[in-house]
Amino acid sequence: MKTALYLLIFYIIVVASEFSGGNDIYAADNAVDFRRDVAPILQQRCLTCHNDRNQRGGLSLHSAKAADKGGDSGQVIVSGKPDSSYLLDLVTPSEGTAEMPKEAPPLKAKEVATLRRWIADGATWPADARLKPPTHWSLEALTCPVVPTKAKVSAALPNRNPIDAFIAARHHDANLTAAPQADRRILIRRLSLDITGLPPSTSAVDAFVANDKPEAYEQLVDDLLKSPHYGERWGRYWLDLARYADSEGYLGDALRPHAWVYREWVIEAINRDLPFDQFTVEQLAGDLLENPTLDQRIATGFHRNTLRNTEAGVDLELYRTKEIVDRVNTTGMVWLGLTLGCAECHDHKNDPISQSEFYQFYAFFNNADEVGVRVTRPWEIADYEASLQSWKPAWSELVAELQPYQKEDLTEGQQATLSKVLVASNKSFDWKMILDFYDTKAGGWDNLQMRVDAHAKKKPLPPATMARGFARRMEDRRDTFVHVRGVYTRHGDKVHPDTPSVLPALNVRGEEPDRLDLAKWLFHENNPLTARVAVNRIWQHLFGQGLVSTPNDFGNEGAQPTHPQLLDWLATEYRRLGWSRKAMIRLIVTSSTYRLSSRSNAVPTQTQTSNQLLWRQNSYRVSAEIVRDLHLAVSGLLDRTIGRRGIRPPLPAFVTEVGRSVKWPVSQGSERYRRGMYIFFKRTVPYPMLMTFDTPDSTMSCSRRERSNTPLQALTLLNDPVFFECAQSLAKQLCEQHGEDIAAAVDDLFQSCLGRRPASQERSYLTAAFHDVQRLEQKERGKDGSSEQIKVTAMTAVARIVMNLDEFITRD
Amino acid sequence: MHHHPSQDELDLAAAGRRRFLTSGASGLGTLALASLLNDDGALADDVSPQFAHFAPTAKRCIYLFMEGGPSQMDLFDEKPKLKELDGQPMPESVLKEIKFAFIQKQSAQLMGSPRTFRRYGECGMALSDLLPHLSTCVDDIALVRSMHGDQFNHLPGQLMMLSGSPLQGRPTMGSWLNYGLGSESKDLPSYVVLTTLGRGLPGGASSWSSGFLPSQYSGTLFRNQGSPVLNLANPKGISRDVQARSLRAINELNFLRLGQTGNPEVASRIKAYELAFRMQQTAPELLDLSGETQATLDAYGVDRKDKPTGTTAGFSGSYARNCLLARRMIERGVRFVTLFLSTWDHHSNLDSGLKRYTQIADQPVTALLKDLKQRGLLDETLVVWGGEFGRTPLGENRVNFKTVTGRDHHPHSFSMWLAGGGVKGGQVIGETDEIGWGVAKDPVHVHDMHATILRLFGLDHERLTYRFQGRDFRLTDVSGQLVSKLLPFS
Repeated sequence: MKTALYLLIFYIIVVASEFSGGNDIYAADNAVDFRRDVAPILQQRCLTCHNDRNQRGGLSLHSAKAADKGGDSGQVIVSGKPDSSYLLDLVTPSEGTAEMPKEAPPLKAKEVATLRRWIADGATWPADARLKPPTHWSLEALTCPVVPTKAKVSAALPNRNPIDAFIAARHHDANLTAAPQADRRILIRRLSLDITGLPPSTSAVDAFVANDKPEAYEQLVDDLLKSPHYGERWGRYWLDLARYADSEGYLGDALRPHAWVYREWVIEAINRDLPFDQFTVEQLAGDLLENPTLDQRIATGFHRNTLRNTEAGVDLELYRTKEIVDRVNTTGMVWLGLTLGCAECHDHKNDPISQSEFYQFYAFFNNADEVGVRVTRPWEIADYEASLQSWKPAWSELVAELQPYQKEDLTEGQQATLSKVLVASNKSFDWKMILDFYDTKAGGWDNLQMRVDAHAKKKPLPPATMARGFARRMEDRRDTFVHVRGVYTRHGDKVHPDTPSVLPALNVRGEEPDRLDLAKWLFHENNPLTARVAVNRIWQHLFGQGLVSTPNDFGNEGAQPTHPQLLDWLATEYRRLGWSRKAMIRLIVTSSTYRLSSRSNAVPTQTQTSNQLLWRQNSYRVSAEIVRDLHLAVSGLLDRTIGRRGIRPPLPAFVTEVGRSVKWPVSQGSERYRRGMYIFFKRTVPYPMLMTFDTPDSTMSCSRRERSNTPLQALTLLNDPVFFECAQSLAKQLCEQHGEDIAAAVDDLFQSCLGRRPASQERSYLTAAFHDVQRLEQKERGKDGSSEQIKVTAMTAVARIVMNLDEFITRD
Repeated sequence: MHHHPSQDELDLAAAGRRRFLTSGASGLGTLALASLLNDDGALADDVSPQFAHFAPTAKRCIYLFMEGGPSQMDLFDEKPKLKELDGQPMPESVLKEIKFAFIQKQSAQLMGSPRTFRRYGECGMALSDLLPHLSTCVDDIALVRSMHGDQFNHLPGQLMMLSGSPLQGRPTMGSWLNYGLGSESKDLPSYVVLTTLGRGLPGGASSWSSGFLPSQYSGTLFRNQGSPVLNLANPKGISRDVQARSLRAINELNFLRLGQTGNPEVASRIKAYELAFRMQQTAPELLDLSGETQATLDAYGVDRKDKPTGTTAGFSGSYARNCLLARRMIERGVRFVTLFLSTWDHHSNLDSGLKRYTQIADQPVTALLKDLKQRGLLDETLVVWGGEFGRTPLGENRVNFKTVTGRDHHPHSFSMWLAGGGVKGGQVIGETDEIGWGVAKDPVHVHDMHATILRLFGLDHERLTYRFQGRDFRLTDVSGQLVSKLLPFS
């Protein structure tokens, strides 16, 4: 036994030395050359974490000196002694894994041998050879990749456009079978929800199913993209990024009563397909354009959505700097997929962004003044005039009632004053000027005066809407300094506006770079990030997950793209299409890939359950606002007004009372039934239904919502008064339309809610539920209940059941 | 967070479906939906403990949050020297770097406490005469007199205390704990909030937000009367029987869909409905105090009556009720209960204000401690008492104040106490200087307190992280030292 062990050890030593020394892969005339043989290995496999800037474990391998110094655990390279060199211990694999590189495949045997040989030969490292970390994939120049050849296109996935070729090629390599194309009822619901956030009507579904023209699908896509509801759905995505809310946040959480003007701009800009580059320029620097239009100035509201702390006694300058930090972070994440915020207090630990570069970026925003932009919408004037008209008659009556009290023998001047005051009828009615003209001792005067006051107070005011925007700071321009450790009172070096050096240089129009230069730089043809990041988000909204699953982080700590070639192709295509969002959506949704079935069991033989390579579409719960929209739409209650100010659905007092002096005047009339995106978002008292379904809290830019599935969601869908009202409304219509034909009513209900007819088992479950509830109600109500009432109650229960189904709130 | 059910869950869902199909379509025998799926379900989605780093001594927490900043030198931290210097100015050197919310530095004067302090218990802890009840259980509490923070305004201070950051948008401690440890409650949310408020909380619902953590970790606001949770009660006109029948149909149809699509998310949806229904049955029972003895109700003071007018009318009964409900929630496996009492922000009329607020809180808080102890729950239940900061040793001379009767915000030193959950009682940690301005010994920063609380729950504050916007966030940001005296194993 012992002998065997010795033999084994002997064997290992011999073999190991054979491997290191004897097995000479380089002939004498072909010695290891640092630049040719060693540098590429170090650079590709080590430098990401061990470079000049980022020295994990205290080690950098960027220069001879640094390498010689070693890391926290001492020297790693001992010249001429490979067996004493810790570096080799770390990178030599054992049983297929090695200590280094971390979270990456180990070095190949040949690479290890090269390093060993190099060290054995004296580890020569020319003094002028300095290594840089490898360029991160997202920072590589963006070029249009070659579309995979037909050879790899799968039979299961018709090749409708290059997207399919890229996807099919990966299926082919991974031996995956694509799911069948989804059926037309699913496709129209998918498209409607994805493009407009509203379900298709029963007649639209029937028409699409019956339309066998080859261009029917494309026609549907075009129609949906023309719908003004498209701007709402895609606008809401943008509002997540813009951390839009209707209040300031923090203790005061004061209302931003006119924040909606920006929201309306977003919807409208998306509806008219304002190209993404222009869409960006206007939001970051609309005020700096030549003769900016009102719209362009409104657009600068993007960065006015930051939280604001105005609590009595706070350090206002501190919170001003925090707002700018948020603007930097948001700009970085939304356009560049860079987490610039990580460099607020120190150099970025993972990405090539230094702290001073953070404050250079900060400097772009440090001289933007916050201004109001006067806006008057025609509907506001119409609203005002209408309410003025309904206010006037009662006023005229009061004026008439005043007449008998008027003293006689008023001079002409006094007469004029009197009628001026009465016509002006200001809210704070100025009695002082006219009281002398009346006999105030006469009976009934006091009461009349009170009523006049009360009505004057009710006089509607003309609209005075102020959008929130930016303007160049002209006076007392601020200098920008690095904030040492992120503390704004601790000034480091003075910095000027500039972009990170790892990205292409900024073109500057004037003396000092400004926001307009910055916005244009984002779309510079050499900037590789903007297009990749933007197109990834569009993909995410159409597949439930981006090709890069961390849409705001394309840095070293972010996810790798699942389809790098496809991502680049789409990014170059987005540019080629002139940054038309509609064209990009159209391109993606007309692919066969988009049209795949989303069923997990669509390919029974599939062994792979993960869908990273998109062998099927994804199926997922719709977002919070759409949950509400679905209910309102199918029940016929939906008010389809687009834009304008927000609404407040009813809320119990105990919810609003947790905030400070929260007034929640419930919206009246059909306004109550507007889409979820118009619900007034008060940051300290967000509407609970929205939060339960994962609406972001709008404190920070959000590029990807969570999608939870919780009991509170079930309780909301079951019992929220708004949703119940929808079920009641729908049930009433069904009863009116179908009378005693319960099966027909159930079919109709199913079609409205789910876009398909029920299977026979589904129909029987629902009719059984209807009859059971009917029986229960009869028992409950006894003789008091009319059969019609009971029928409506039972139908309400059935409508509520369907509106609680997973399928109803899921986009398949 | 996309919830991907395990194979077990899928199997259970399939089993459930079989049982549905064989249980017949009539009658309400399937009312017991709750037992249909697995029984170990946590209400707030399924999360297994991802981060149990150490053996915990605390499993649950009741956080008695005293909004506004209670005055430490009138309650917990006797300062004879301050009394002696009453009416004197502060040394310039101390004031130079200091920011106040409202105090005018130049004319500010020190203000001694009118309260008398005595020593209580075996440990001889000194407490103010405003706390006659708490003084009977000082041997169970660890009083920290050396707390300090950096925020001198309410909301930043509260967010700091609740979420470890003065900025809005971070997860609160209850969210972190549930994220790290999962839920143990079958019928109730694992993070519950009760409030006794006058004019509302500065942060509103951000005081129990899950921030960037998924929304299932957010606190759930409970009412202490009527229907406890928003949308818990059936809509008007939907009887319990109709609700049960409806749920059966919902599940029948969802099971069909599960079979057709194989989409595991449907199984989660089914389970969520089961749990929602269970919650509808059990949550109202939580508020039903008829099973409590009169002695218990009296101990908490549930029936105490206040004058029917005034800004704190009804607070005594409401807060007592909330304390009792906290115990009932703990018994039912709720992990984290926050009780907000607002407001201790006594810029003026400090003495009468403190009398009022201690009258509201002292008795029920003490009853809660004793009740937990008597039931053997205190060992694993951490009770935390404290506000967002303390108050100045200076009297507040705000510009428009005619007389000086209160104190301003003071983050540089304040008191908090902890009990249960493995914390050694009967000890005082830290000291302030002789006028109570700064910490003189054993400073405990807010981050240190957070690190320590997490440690009591078996969590390493440096390893309980969540990746967001490219950064691994922690409750303790980049700081946090354990307070070893608070840890049982030190």
